[in-house]
Amino acid sequence: MPDITLRVNGATCAGSPEARKTLADFLREDLDLTGTHLGCEHGVCGACTVILDGRAVRSCLMLAVQAAGSEVTTIEGLAPDGGLGPLQQAMWDSHSFQCGFCTPGFVVQATAFLSDHPDAGEQQIREALSGNICRCTGYQSIIDGVLLAAERNRER
Amino acid sequence: MAEIVAERYTGASIKRSEDPRILTGAGRYVDDIKLPGMLHAAFVRSPLAHGNVLSVDVSAARALPGVVAVLTGADLEAMTVPGPDPLMALFGAAGPTPEFTLLATDKVRLMGDPVAVVIAESRYLAEDGCELVEVDYDDLPPVVTAAFALDPSSPPLFANLGDNIARPHSRNEFGDVGSTFANADRVIDFHIDVHRHQNVPMEGRGCVASWDADLAAMTVYAATQSVHITRTGVATRLGIEPDKVRVLAGDIGGSFGLKIGASREELAVAAASRHLGRPVKWVEDRGENLMVSGQAREESFDVRAAVSNDGDLAGLDVAVVVDTGAYPGMGMGAMVPDIMQAMLPGPYKLAALGFESTAVITNKATYVAYRGPWASETFVRERVLDLIAKDLGLDPVEIRLRNIAARTDPPASMITGRPLVGVTTVEALERVAQLVDFPAFRRRQAQARAQGRYLGVGVATFIEAAPGPRPEGPDGALGSESMRLRLTEDGIVVLFTGQMPHGQSHQTTLAQIAADEFGVPFEQVRVVVGDSDVVPFGLTGGSRSATMTGGVALHGARDLKAKVLDFAAYLMEARAQDLLISDGNVWVRGDPASAIAVSEVGRRAASGQFGADVDAALEVEATFDGGEGGWSGGTHCAIVEVDAETGLVKVERYVAVEDCGALINPAVVEGQIRGGIAQGIGAVLLEKSAYGEDGSFQSATFMDYLMPTTCDIPRIEIEHLETVPLDADVNFRGVGEGGMIVAPPTVVNAIEDALSPFGVRIYEQHLPPARILELIAAADSGQ
Repeated sequence: MPDITLRVNGATCAGSPEARKTLADFLREDLDLTGTHLGCEHGVCGACTVILDGRAVRSCLMLAVQAAGSEVTTIEGLAPDGGLGPLQQAMWDSHSFQCGFCTPGFVVQATAFLSDHPDAGEQQIREALSGNICRCTGYQSIIDGVLLAAERNRER
Repeated sequence: MAEIVAERYTGASIKRSEDPRILTGAGRYVDDIKLPGMLHAAFVRSPLAHGNVLSVDVSAARALPGVVAVLTGADLEAMTVPGPDPLMALFGAAGPTPEFTLLATDKVRLMGDPVAVVIAESRYLAEDGCELVEVDYDDLPPVVTAAFALDPSSPPLFANLGDNIARPHSRNEFGDVGSTFANADRVIDFHIDVHRHQNVPMEGRGCVASWDADLAAMTVYAATQSVHITRTGVATRLGIEPDKVRVLAGDIGGSFGLKIGASREELAVAAASRHLGRPVKWVEDRGENLMVSGQAREESFDVRAAVSNDGDLAGLDVAVVVDTGAYPGMGMGAMVPDIMQAMLPGPYKLAALGFESTAVITNKATYVAYRGPWASETFVRERVLDLIAKDLGLDPVEIRLRNIAARTDPPASMITGRPLVGVTTVEALERVAQLVDFPAFRRRQAQARAQGRYLGVGVATFIEAAPGPRPEGPDGALGSESMRLRLTEDGIVVLFTGQMPHGQSHQTTLAQIAADEFGVPFEQVRVVVGDSDVVPFGLTGGSRSATMTGGVALHGARDLKAKVLDFAAYLMEARAQDLLISDGNVWVRGDPASAIAVSEVGRRAASGQFGADVDAALEVEATFDGGEGGWSGGTHCAIVEVDAETGLVKVERYVAVEDCGALINPAVVEGQIRGGIAQGIGAVLLEKSAYGEDGSFQSATFMDYLMPTTCDIPRIEIEHLETVPLDADVNFRGVGEGGMIVAPPTVVNAIEDALSPFGVRIYEQHLPPARILELIAAADSGQ
């Protein structure tokens, strides 16, 4: 089993995953970062989204060994210790989610999108999140949370 | 100290206490459970829809390093107690009970039927093991359609039944069906189909079972709508005393009716854990979820409507055939016709109803409850009203207003029995008409048509018995709900509920109600769920929790407060009737300086300093029967644009006017409504559980089973009606299912309206682009 080293949420992590192990399973099983969820394991639902070297990627479609040397941010790495980041706070204020299973993927995807498109409007946000599936909400509350975060960010 | 002004939480969109953990990845779902020595299970599944199992060779799989055990259907039969699905045992089934084993032994009955389970050190290795299991099958003719299942020549799936009938044909009549139809100006016939689609929670089914051989006790970490029903299932099928089974549940990633009881796979995992003396985890993958977890709907209706030339719908005569799939789990497929029959009249003054039903068994996934399981009655009724309106040249709002029962005192009753007390359908329809401005829409529609664009508007109404009006006699409409409440030594009001939330926000909403009633800040209330050793019996489902659990939280907090005040009266040397609790303090009325903290009362009670004459046990058990109950309901309206070239439908606007009584938390209520509507839009435009003619399942990925995403669901405008309080205290009503019940007819009605220039009439629910183009082409060619 190959030895790999990568940075996850700012900390250096080493591991020896089987070559076939996905990045999602490595994060969840080897690093105990269970906030990254698996909703389909074929790259459609987006629940497993993480930020890898600045880009949102589906950790179910990547092998852990492909992430060797990379900088990975998961849902656990977005908030200051014990608190909520600005997007998470806006989503709380907006009642964005219900069961919470899709939530990490949406939060991570929207974080990556907003960092590149701080002035995005509703339609752009909808398109940017159209690769994430939520079964509970009908999406409006999620979109509202992202819009609120963007608005607060501009006012800051 | 100033006079204390209590904050009121009930009725406000209090932010959810579930969210901080969910938003940071700290939610604890069943797949996040990791126990020392835990093994992983994967199932060997049938590639055939119907076949005899000739042999199962597990030797190569057992020899694979990392594989700990391979258990066949025969192995599991020896380890478990035969019997029906636990939920079917609980509620009873309407028809004969098919006999089958936990995993397939002699026969497979659908594609994906589990034949063996491989237990290994990792899920990867367990799946490797599955590939090494050799099963020999002998094909049997698949029974894929209800029509074939009804044919006595179809091969019976279950040998003990002799045919494929899950519920024999029956017919009931309400009112004078014969003379209503004989005297009608016109009788119109339709055949309406509702297609198979499914729950698809983002988290599939799964469990971790952990057998403690020393204590002879089982712990199951489950994703379930009821820890107690799961416990009953595990205890019954494994032959363990129920008190030796503990079911724990944490966060649950949605369910919508799917995760009730203990599935065949979950029971097999529990049996494997006992056999091996080690914890075993199984979490289904999306392919398993789509293929075998359960599917819903697939009903066909022959409908006759007795109508006057003015548009009065006097009678309906409806015959339904329900395709219940392969294993009639929980009896839902056989039970649902009874609810359809009761609800078919809706809020309308139908004078006569004939209703006949049959449920059949086919080689497809089991028919399960899915958000508003009986919803097809609303689809049929609301579709029929529009079809009649078109024939008679009436407006869809007008025909509904004409036929809805007026709110009278005493109330009119549905022809099937229940009184329409407090139903606000007329108000909802009138409000929708105002919000949408139909004349202005018709002008815009005409202009658009002149440009070759096809806009349409659709409305539909529903009522839901959530809980339903209080029946005559001692019992409430939905039985009763229990709760235990305690004031801790830290001054926390703790609610122990059998509700098992999976997105419904009960840890927030129940705390709102109890905080107000007891008189403490919201943050001083905890809602404990998900431990069968600790919480009373309960089930989250059927839109019951708003009334039933909201109500027991209110009455329980009231009872606990009375008990706390009795004890505080002793402490404070005051009379209990002179004491108040607000903002977390107990004080003598008119004397704010007397205030002591509720936490101080709790601490003193826990100190053990009091004799037998002082009741310092600050705990109560409460039950609630739903009080006066009442109906939920509403009217929805959709405006769509259909692209006649591509068949694509865009939902441009969606308006919902709903009445779920008093709102506990408007943001939570609106989330339920929007989520249900999104599922309804998905059901019409995208989703279908598809089978080939050979019974092969053809939608086992999200590239085949299409889910609605951000660009498919519009902003949804919601207005609440709160017109008719019926109960002195509890007027919260269920709202979980309504969106999914009424959105499909709303959207289909709008699509038919958009396509009216082509003369299209729609008698089905699934309208993906290819089907829209077929309907246009068929209408064009005069078929």
